[in-house]
Amino acid sequence: MKRSRTIAITALAASVAMLATGCATADSGGGSAGDPVTITFWGAYGNGGNSAQQDVLNDTLIPAFEAAHPDIKVTYVDVPYDDLLKKLTTSAAGDELPDLVRADLGWVPKFADLGVLVPLSQAMPDFQELADATFPGVLSTNLWKGEYYGLPLDTNTRVLITSQAALDAAGLDAPPATFDDLEKAASALNGTGISLFADGGLGAWNISPWIWSGGGAITDDEMTTATGYLDGTKSVATVQMLVDLYKTGQISNGITGNAGAISTAEGLPNNTYATIFDGPWMTGIWADQFPDFAPIYAPIPAGDGGSVSVVGGEDIVLTATSKHQEAAMEFIRYTQSDDFQLALVPTGQLTVIKALGDKQVELVPFLKVFTDQLATAKARLAIPQGSQVDTILNEELVPAFEGTVSVKDALSKAATRIDELLAEQ
Amino acid sequence: MTLTTLGESLGADVAGHVSAASVPPARPRRRRSSTGGGLVPYLFLAPGATLFALTVLYPTVQAFQMSFFDWKLVASASKFIGFDNYLRALQDDHFWLALSNSGIYMVFTVVPQIVIGLAIALLLKRKSPTQPLFRVLFYLPVVTSWVVVSLLFRFLFSDAGLINFTLGDFLHLTDGSTPWLADRWTALLAICALGVWKGIGWSMMIFLAALQGVPAALLEAAAMDGANRWQRFRAVTVPAIWPALLFVTVMLVIGGFNVFVSVYLMTGGGPAGRTEVLLTYMYKQAFENLDFGYGSAIAVLLTVIVFILSVVQLRVFRDRNGEGAL
Repeated sequence: MKRSRTIAITALAASVAMLATGCATADSGGGSAGDPVTITFWGAYGNGGNSAQQDVLNDTLIPAFEAAHPDIKVTYVDVPYDDLLKKLTTSAAGDELPDLVRADLGWVPKFADLGVLVPLSQAMPDFQELADATFPGVLSTNLWKGEYYGLPLDTNTRVLITSQAALDAAGLDAPPATFDDLEKAASALNGTGISLFADGGLGAWNISPWIWSGGGAITDDEMTTATGYLDGTKSVATVQMLVDLYKTGQISNGITGNAGAISTAEGLPNNTYATIFDGPWMTGIWADQFPDFAPIYAPIPAGDGGSVSVVGGEDIVLTATSKHQEAAMEFIRYTQSDDFQLALVPTGQLTVIKALGDKQVELVPFLKVFTDQLATAKARLAIPQGSQVDTILNEELVPAFEGTVSVKDALSKAATRIDELLAEQ
Repeated sequence: MTLTTLGESLGADVAGHVSAASVPPARPRRRRSSTGGGLVPYLFLAPGATLFALTVLYPTVQAFQMSFFDWKLVASASKFIGFDNYLRALQDDHFWLALSNSGIYMVFTVVPQIVIGLAIALLLKRKSPTQPLFRVLFYLPVVTSWVVVSLLFRFLFSDAGLINFTLGDFLHLTDGSTPWLADRWTALLAICALGVWKGIGWSMMIFLAALQGVPAALLEAAAMDGANRWQRFRAVTVPAIWPALLFVTVMLVIGGFNVFVSVYLMTGGGPAGRTEVLLTYMYKQAFENLDFGYGSAIAVLLTVIVFILSVVQLRVFRDRNGEGAL
């Protein structure tokens, strides 16, 4: 009997312990009155193991902010980029969002539409002053239904990257500066075993620089329709040029979604590809993996629309559930300061402040091409269904590259589907 | 505590499940305590049952509920839309493409896993010095991470991968430049190859265990009656392992429809969504497009399909082998 009771108690204790372990959560409650408030900041500065940016943030920037604001403590939580959207999504559902998030610029309208972000253009009296100092392309990614829900934190853009070996093979003295130069280089590369260009897909990040540089557009300026723009004459002509290059083998089939194609990061240094479009982070990747490779950076080749690239980067947003919104906004102001912006430049982050462009190039000379390109770079469609736009572009354009539908029909169909998304706004 | 004393404590009903060798026979049955004896098993079950309820039952019910809503993360903004998500799925070409890809994967992985798994089990049933080594080798892929082997197969089937090298430079069967992952059918072939390679060891193990129960006397009697090897296999072995065959088939069909990691990592559903399967499509709807209502509806439809298939299999197997087989 005694033994039975012992077993029963043991089982009960095990049950309670197991549940207690499973249900335990960190107590994030604030301290008592007079203690500094703690704001939590989520981001992916860790870049999956490259800690350079995270180290600057944790060791230099946050301590400097806390020294200047003794009543505020900042806790930075690094989340791998691939998990961040999922974590934000589940946290938003459970009202567990942090105070601040370093959000990919494509996510801002998505979360603004869900009502979990604070419109900074309403909440911050000095918002306009801060906004005016930033590049317009990256600022526009924060705009949703007439209000700005964040401020640019860091930015990047794509430029043309090539190599001396590729230029030699194509008989060029300088990187191709125009669409005509590209087509001439393609002719010269025929039979050399080197493809003129490679990219990893046909989403907005990939195809927009071509369409904009060719003088076309994805939608009208008010983002009300894609029909007449995405399938306009200039857009069709530009994509047709790409399709023609693809058919002659001058563009790798990675662009049509072949997951087994040689990656652009490997194909350029190995001289499989002559040119790619990519961002400033590639320098670090190549320095590790191809230390002898010397990339050459140049603006996106210009067509009828000039040289226009696509804006990437991150915005900083304030969540509606934050209990310390004033403190969080103070940290947002700090992220727009010269100190904050320039400290991250050597780690591969481009500044979002227009006036810091020259200082940025002084710090890291190879960023000049990127800095210049940002002056005209544009943002992708800032709508909650940004990922669906990518899916549509891929699904409709791949058949055009494969030659089963005409470019005009493919773009018209894509425009119709994007119009349906725009109509939901 | 020894097994014997545990048996004493928990009562004779538990002792019945312990091997005869370890339990003293002919102990008089104790009367179960009228106060606490009935509670003890439930206390032991409570942690697991609670976790099951929290991590399986609750999300399942919640997903079912979400499938009837235009679900937003902010619950108050969600709108009840009845069966709209289900109707949308039925009119969605991509849903049907994903369903057909899941079906193709299921057919082209389940049959080879059963046939090859059984063949290997029959070979490894014989005693030989190398038998343990081969058992381990065949089972090794089963315990290897899906993520690791998916990335491995992606590299194997890449344009500059080992498959193209072998077919082109070594065997001279192709020009060595087949873009396996660029086309729906060749990409599905690569994904199925991974599924079969990784799953054979599991079915082999189940069949090996089942083959131990095939009565040797019946096999000998059949041999004495003049039955050849194939006839002995068909008339004696197969009926004896029928329950295992049913179990393996049902589990593999369920697993086939639940394929996710290999597709997600090998092709990402591409090119242009042509290798999307139901779970990758559901995942994209829910976690990339944040369309949780539609994603939940796809998940419910998948559950219904798998349930119907499982019931059909159970009935087919029962009809072919009588009630006793189940």
